[in-house]
Amino acid sequence: MSVNIGGLWLKNPVMTASGTFGYGEEYACYVDINRLGAVVVKGVSLNPRQGNPAPRIMEAPFGMINSIGLQNPGVKAFVTDKLPFLKQFDVAVIVNIFGETVDEYMRIADALTQADGIHALEVNISCPNVEKGGMCFGTDPEIAHEVTQRVKSVTHLPVIVKLSPNVTDIGEIADSVQAGGADAISLINTISGMSVDVENRRPHLKMVTGGLSGPAIKPVALKMVREVVKRVSVPVIGVGGIMNASDALEFLIVGAKAVQVGTANFVNPRATMDIIDGIEEYMMRHQMQDMRELIGTLNEEEGLC
Amino acid sequence: MNRNKFLIDGKITVNRRLINEHYLMTVVISDNFPKPLPGQFVMVRLKGRHEPFLSRPFSIYQYNHQDDKVFVQILYRVAGKGTRILSELKRGAILEISGLHGHPFDILPHASNVILIAGGVGVAPISYLASHYKDNIHNTDMRLSCYLGAKSAKHLLGVETLRMSCSSVEISTDDGSSGYHGMVTESFARNVAAYPPDQSLIYACGPASMLKRISEILCDYPIPCQVLLEQRMACGFGACLGCTVEVKGAGEMKRYVRVCTEGPVFNIHDVIWG
Repeated sequence: MSVNIGGLWLKNPVMTASGTFGYGEEYACYVDINRLGAVVVKGVSLNPRQGNPAPRIMEAPFGMINSIGLQNPGVKAFVTDKLPFLKQFDVAVIVNIFGETVDEYMRIADALTQADGIHALEVNISCPNVEKGGMCFGTDPEIAHEVTQRVKSVTHLPVIVKLSPNVTDIGEIADSVQAGGADAISLINTISGMSVDVENRRPHLKMVTGGLSGPAIKPVALKMVREVVKRVSVPVIGVGGIMNASDALEFLIVGAKAVQVGTANFVNPRATMDIIDGIEEYMMRHQMQDMRELIGTLNEEEGLC
Repeated sequence: MNRNKFLIDGKITVNRRLINEHYLMTVVISDNFPKPLPGQFVMVRLKGRHEPFLSRPFSIYQYNHQDDKVFVQILYRVAGKGTRILSELKRGAILEISGLHGHPFDILPHASNVILIAGGVGVAPISYLASHYKDNIHNTDMRLSCYLGAKSAKHLLGVETLRMSCSSVEISTDDGSSGYHGMVTESFARNVAAYPPDQSLIYACGPASMLKRISEILCDYPIPCQVLLEQRMACGFGACLGCTVEVKGAGEMKRYVRVCTEGPVFNIHDVIWG
């Protein structure tokens, strides 16, 4: 079941999605972390961040909306307090990073490259760029290119760039981060959304808007993954609403080389294990020996009739 | 693996409406469901369904171990779509339950006055705590006093259960239809001076406005007080960071902590009441 993601070999294609698996500790009593393809940790910034005021989450139809606000202890505390726990396991550790400026991204990437026990970086470009009036890094192809290139310039680790779906042309952004040197691309991050308490006529979230995740976004994610797979040559990692093995298989068949399981972890803390078992069972049933017999095998010619 | 962390199926044996929007559910579970400490909670969802999508957090109201089975009672209020769907479930429905979550109440076996203050459905964890004191703490000098508040006599929950565990149960209703006419906090405030702070301890659970008012009353009477908070949660075990509450940090600093993990029990003076 192994796959190669931009030079990083994973024992299977199932990773956790950033922000849904903490730094692994909360799940150690539910899952065998050694069985995961990779752990993608909660996003790390240069300095500690407190996050947003509550309420931070609200259930949505077949999903949830969150405005956690990227709460995290900062890169220094991550390396000293959180990373040692993950180093005990035989699992690829991928650190999701984000900054408010291009320089911050570089400094975090540099600090993590010097730490031991990190196998790749995932660059979150869905956050506001304070130097450009708060516009999201991931919505401008040139800025997305620049962030990717600068992070690459300070690290030898494989660099995965995680794309925002809140753009007009995701293929164009994918193209530009590949040109910037991305070793792989993951998508999609959450879709912007909101909901209203009609009795009190107030937003459900203190920050009013948040990111929608869960099965509600899966069809959007699949369509965007297909688009990006067709556009770029680097490996693509599919993320968005994967709840079970069948959902994961959809992404793999469409052409993702690996998948990330996110919100499902909250609902079923053993979701990743169930998904690995389910993919294994599917491959046996279809007499497949290698993930390559599965990935990107969508038959569009004999489609629906 | 931590025996106190599990993900297990349970079957509904009883799910009935008590009064108004309040329901009592009994779930039967295999006996590897450890006995919860007072203040701990479980996350419950309808197995195999995406609606409601997220599990819902519930305190334990009662726990009984019989033969090779555990019967857990959950007293809950229909507060939105998720609890409404749960309230419509019939006997035999299968739930997926994760637990045991949260930091329990501190138990003080040598206190002279244990004061319990419960508002609305906050009576559920308070009642479970009262039973714990009655069953496990054998201190003949201890007096367990409960202040129970509700909108009206018709909304009172768990009175009989509390009477079995407590030395006294003072009832307050907003409309005066039973007991003290007014808020439960004011009923408590009338007696607060009688409790020696160094020999007393308060536990409270109820609406945020009730807990805030208790914190104000206790500015003049330094009786230690633990409160159990409620917040919307996605996971219940510390991963989603969705259920935070603002607490006092070092100096003038404020910080966010997780109700599910650092709580749901907090020192009343640590919480910043909005």
